[in-house]
Amino acid sequence: MLLRPLDDLVLLYHRSSGQTHMVASPVPEILAELGDKALHLEELRSALEQNYDLGEPEAARAELSQHLGDLCALGLVRTT
Amino acid sequence: MKHSVTLTIGPATFRIGSAWGQPVAQLRALYAGYPAPPGAIADFTVRLDPAGPLRRWWRPSARIAGDYMLPDAAPMALHHGLLAAEMGMNLQMALGWRRHVLIHASSVEKDGRALVMTGESGSGKSTLAAMLGERGWRFMGDEFALLDPTSGAIFPFPRLVSLKNVAIGVMQDFVGHAARFGPLMQATPKGDIRHLIPPADAIARMQEGAPPALLLFPRFGHARAIRPVGQGEAFMRLTQASTNYVACGERGFTALHRFVSNVPGIALDFESGAQAIDMIDDLWADLP
Repeated sequence: MLLRPLDDLVLLYHRSSGQTHMVASPVPEILAELGDKALHLEELRSALEQNYDLGEPEAARAELSQHLGDLCALGLVRTT
Repeated sequence: MKHSVTLTIGPATFRIGSAWGQPVAQLRALYAGYPAPPGAIADFTVRLDPAGPLRRWWRPSARIAGDYMLPDAAPMALHHGLLAAEMGMNLQMALGWRRHVLIHASSVEKDGRALVMTGESGSGKSTLAAMLGERGWRFMGDEFALLDPTSGAIFPFPRLVSLKNVAIGVMQDFVGHAARFGPLMQATPKGDIRHLIPPADAIARMQEGAPPALLLFPRFGHARAIRPVGQGEAFMRLTQASTNYVACGERGFTALHRFVSNVPGIALDFESGAQAIDMIDDLWADLP
């Protein structure tokens, strides 16, 4: 996966599918944190919290879960 | 095929065959000034076949065929055969070319840097490129700008300029030399069409690329206005304007990202060619 910044967006080239996506924060941060790792939702939240103000943990988990669902639907993230 | 001609335009070589002599004779005349590299091997073949068993003689009409074809394309009358050949060449480029990222755009060059103009049909990009080509810029192409994934430069594809409808009269007044124009083809599927032979320097330098310096999105018929186009919008519009972006894969992605990151994008609304040329001159003068 290639991530390239543009103005206030990030371009994403997904090598496996050959598809290009245009994403905005916090998606690039989530993808960067995940990298090739498999993380539980709470592990991802705490890792991101080291660098970003995510607010209330419960609300942050719900929002992250929503983003991960969208990324799964695009084939960019896999649940194991 | 009974009649054929081999043409080299920029980096691409075409072999055009026809059941009739007329389209090939017109191509030979209009492309007479283009260098013909000895022993050039055609990248693409275009054929103008009779649309049916009797259609070579009776109400003659040509079906565009070649290495890449649109199976449901309607045949065209023989007296529009020159347009059919040009459409066939464009089709081969659009569907088959892989050495560059192909952008549906016109381009011109000045001071060693390229101006790229993209927009829908009727936006004025072809006419503006043709006008600038008569006004001190080097005409690079009115249909396809070829973006080199390795160097990031724009390479020319200076085929005949395809003038449509009102642009025909505008350019006839602008150019003056009748010998540079092809036959007027009326009531084609694209309206009235007349081809213009590009200036001699455009043809002589058709292998010479230039780094892009400005990306314009012209729009004819609107009150004079200029608006910066963000990198995200520019990227999206260029992927839409490219016929082979998906086929180019990661090379295409990297090339277009570099293009929009380094080149300012401007939407330019204009009411006349003269007004647009003034606006372009001002924008060009303000470039760093």
